[in-house]
Amino acid sequence: MLEFSTSQPLTLGVELELMIVNRRDYNLTRGSDDLLHLLGRSPHGYDIKPEITQGMIEIGTAVHSDVNTMLEELLAIRALLVRTAEKLNLGLAGGGSHPFQHWSDQRIYPKERYQLVSELYGYLAKQFTVYGQHIHIGCPDGDTAVRLTHYLSRYIPHFIALSASSPFHQGVDTLFQSSRLTSVNAFPLSGSMPCVGNWDEFNDYFTGMADLGIVASMKDFYWDIRPKPEYGTVEIRICDTPLGVDTPVLLAAYAQMLARQCFEDGWDDISPAHYLTYSYNRFQACRFGYDAVLVDGVKKRQTSLLEDMLDTLNGLLPHAQALGIEAQHNALRERILQRRLDSHWLRQVYDDSGSLSEVVRRQSEFWMYEAPALSVN
Amino acid sequence: MHDLPWQSLALNPLAAFGILLALGVLGGQIAVRVAKLPGITGYILSGLIIGPSGLKLLDQQLIDEAGLFIQLALGLALFDMGRRVDLRWLRREKALFATALLSGVITFLGLLALLTFSGFPMAPASLLAAIGIATSPVVLLELVRESRAEGQVTERLMACTGLNNLLSLTVFTLALSFTHFSAGHGVESFILLPGWLLLGSVLLGLVAGLLAIRLNVWLGGGKREAQTVLMFGLIALVVGLSAMLKLLPALAILIFGLATRNLERGYAVAEPSLSSRSSFFFVAFFVAAGAQLMPLPLAALWPSAVGFVLVRSLLAAGSWWVAARSNGLPPRHGALLGLGLLPMSGSAVMLMTMGALTLSAGAAEFSGFLLSVLCLTELLGPIVTRFALRCAQETRD
Repeated sequence: MLEFSTSQPLTLGVELELMIVNRRDYNLTRGSDDLLHLLGRSPHGYDIKPEITQGMIEIGTAVHSDVNTMLEELLAIRALLVRTAEKLNLGLAGGGSHPFQHWSDQRIYPKERYQLVSELYGYLAKQFTVYGQHIHIGCPDGDTAVRLTHYLSRYIPHFIALSASSPFHQGVDTLFQSSRLTSVNAFPLSGSMPCVGNWDEFNDYFTGMADLGIVASMKDFYWDIRPKPEYGTVEIRICDTPLGVDTPVLLAAYAQMLARQCFEDGWDDISPAHYLTYSYNRFQACRFGYDAVLVDGVKKRQTSLLEDMLDTLNGLLPHAQALGIEAQHNALRERILQRRLDSHWLRQVYDDSGSLSEVVRRQSEFWMYEAPALSVN
Repeated sequence: MHDLPWQSLALNPLAAFGILLALGVLGGQIAVRVAKLPGITGYILSGLIIGPSGLKLLDQQLIDEAGLFIQLALGLALFDMGRRVDLRWLRREKALFATALLSGVITFLGLLALLTFSGFPMAPASLLAAIGIATSPVVLLELVRESRAEGQVTERLMACTGLNNLLSLTVFTLALSFTHFSAGHGVESFILLPGWLLLGSVLLGLVAGLLAIRLNVWLGGGKREAQTVLMFGLIALVVGLSAMLKLLPALAILIFGLATRNLERGYAVAEPSLSSRSSFFFVAFFVAAGAQLMPLPLAALWPSAVGFVLVRSLLAAGSWWVAARSNGLPPRHGALLGLGLLPMSGSAVMLMTMGALTLSAGAAEFSGFLLSVLCLTELLGPIVTRFALRCAQETRD
């Protein structure tokens, strides 16, 4: 039986998985241990931890109700990480996947959970060297979390398009804007949460799976969105790690506005029919970004993702005003109107240089040194 | 009556190269599978067994004739090592630069003191101590490739090796100048010649670096194969030119690699992974190095040779142990890094020839002693360095 911890509604936290690359050919390198060792020499109070393979590192913010303070914290974490990485001559980069690493070269981090995952999933564990952003949204109770999870599933293609930054995979242009999710799809417990109606039903499902020996904790579900009972949040896990340090804050602001709309409207339209086209729409966003065509299985119509995002943003304006995040609302609108995709930027660098090493060099410089587009406060 | 073809068989350079490769690979595999030693040790032992000091399947003339491939291997390794010297990193991470430099200077002074104490005159002692500063780039690169080592100890070991080779070649040139001066040779011998060696080699390396960057920018990143062939060509050209101009090929190539890494738009020379594509050159290099080992001088000079190797390793390990914390390493890893610097540079034999020619008296003792030290470091170096990288948990095997 899972207890859902109460948390302040609409509070936010983000986690970012980052690449650790060498500065010679910009391939992934075994750097997380060295980084963590050096970071650990003086207390910093930030949440910085290893990930499944040693070319990854994860950072997490504290709980914020204001996205501006979240950006401040992310900038402080970045400054600390950059200082440390420079001493070790390591590069850090955003982006959903490293363009040319070979999965078999990766080393599993020596931590019990990761070793178990590696034993269970074999090569999938090393192929899971992909980089995502997770957004946590505070919920007052489990029932609300279940509702919010279903509500947000409708907007999954939006988050995919806004964060898409993994066009290359194993040295090849995939033609996808986000190829990262293909690595996640391979896991048997990926996809979406089953269509449960409330926290009790969720618990029944979880207990059933645990009794069958399939799962031991919520961590075993690799869903795109999942309730996180120990934090009292709903966690969106669909996003690629964006290239810039400020984009994660925009994505968090978008999630905050959507969640407020869900709570204020008292949305409760939970139905399996909404999931009929879930995987198809998800694929469309991964493949085409803003040019995706979404299918509404209930209303039986097709819409362009771009139009859907602009309509959604129009509807969210009152919530942006109520939350005091009009600047982020405008920035999102600009980003969509300009059809700005991180994956386009990466392809442009590749077209100009013909070198994937150069692509990673530029994306590393971007994450480490680029000033945020929206200033803090 | 004419001889039949098989009655006057003589190995030509290509056949000699083939023997170096084939026996080297077999020896390497035996070392890895049976004795769990690094493949490099197997290659060197194969060379020792088939060389002039062993079964005499290869004589010195044949080894010399395969020299083209061996010089190219050394060139490829030194170029790669030069690319490991990232000046942007060294500007930020002054601790690494200072440690590499100080460790080299301390090693030089310690060895100089030991050698003069052991009865060597100052001139050969300074030449030997200068050669003793440098770590072998070929051994390190091949070991890192073989054990797939990655991490801070490996990175700093590589950067330190690049720097200590630069320092060694510079100090060697100065020591050469001192040798000429002590022998009462003219100004052209003790100022112009060393100046030509040092400045000419640096200039050649820089020009080659600039040329490589320009040509790679012109080729574009999409032409990876063409870039790789071009870099092979330029490395061969620089090795050849520096020999023709009687420069220090090792210094010229190191500077060449360093320039392509650090000059503006140097990123256009995308990592060509030359060393990973050159393993057959490296196998030949190690077998030839083994064939040139001479255990006889070692039998006579082993106490002082062992002393030299011990002092050199202790000073390196001690320096890095003291400086570990400022390099962001645990002290144990610092000591392991210092220990990993044991293999001695592959260009030592060439420097030995140069030094012996300069020394009017004592050339035989100088060469004999260096050959004894090389015999020890070539056999022990790969084993000790792999041990250090393993203990630092940076290898995969």
